[in-house]
Amino acid sequence: MSVEELAFLGLAAIAVGTAMLALLVRELVHTILWVAVFFVSLSGIYFLLEAPFLGVLQLGVYAGAVTILLLFGVMVTRKRIFSKEVATGISPFPFALAVVAMVVLAVVAASLPVPVTLVRSYDVTLLSTALFQQYGAWLVLLGMVMLSALAGAIYLVREGRE
Amino acid sequence: MTDLSVASFLFLSGALLAIGLFGILTRRNFILLLIAVEIAMNAAILNFVYFAAFAGTSQGLSGQAIAVVLVGLAATEIAVGLAIVLALNRQRGSINVGEATTLKL
Repeated sequence: MSVEELAFLGLAAIAVGTAMLALLVRELVHTILWVAVFFVSLSGIYFLLEAPFLGVLQLGVYAGAVTILLLFGVMVTRKRIFSKEVATGISPFPFALAVVAMVVLAVVAASLPVPVTLVRSYDVTLLSTALFQQYGAWLVLLGMVMLSALAGAIYLVREGRE
Repeated sequence: MTDLSVASFLFLSGALLAIGLFGILTRRNFILLLIAVEIAMNAAILNFVYFAAFAGTSQGLSGQAIAVVLVGLAATEIAVGLAIVLALNRQRGSINVGEATTLKL
């Protein structure tokens, strides 16, 4: 077993474990800390997959900005930030649905052809060319979505609206 | 890395999608719901990056470009979601989605 395989298995185990913990622990602040670990482990997987730009983007946007935004959300909506959630048990139907989805996806994944060679294709110049030429329209669209989201968020939280 | 199959990657993103689905269906706190949606969305982004790594150069860079756009979209979604959380908290004094039965703000 190669080092990269071991690293992938470790990071995948951390990702699945922290994602489950994030949704099962009862303190919201602990949830956010677990989800931050989840984002960091995903960024490690991106580095393994020869996508360092995305790995850094994941660290900056998710582990940085999204985590802080979520903590901010907890901070302003609670009187005591470490108060516990009301215990919600694992209800059978959603759990069964998630397990069925998981099994179906695993069966489909197992039926795919194995193994495929990883292409060492990363080149930041080519990526930026692809991003700004071939997918330039998408970037402009993303900018417009972000602008309208900014306006919408300010509209939602402004003071003195009846 | 050459002997890692596509199936093992797909298995991971399938597991993450199932966890996110479970969270979306069971949690009642709005912030937890947002986190569950983010976990499911990260499973999707992960798929783009895998197939980018296993495809040739030109297709691979397309996959990474799409993933960059998706990361931006997911961050935007969190920002709007938190604005809704704040508005809900001010109006109802609670961020339980079970109590948000009317969409009037």
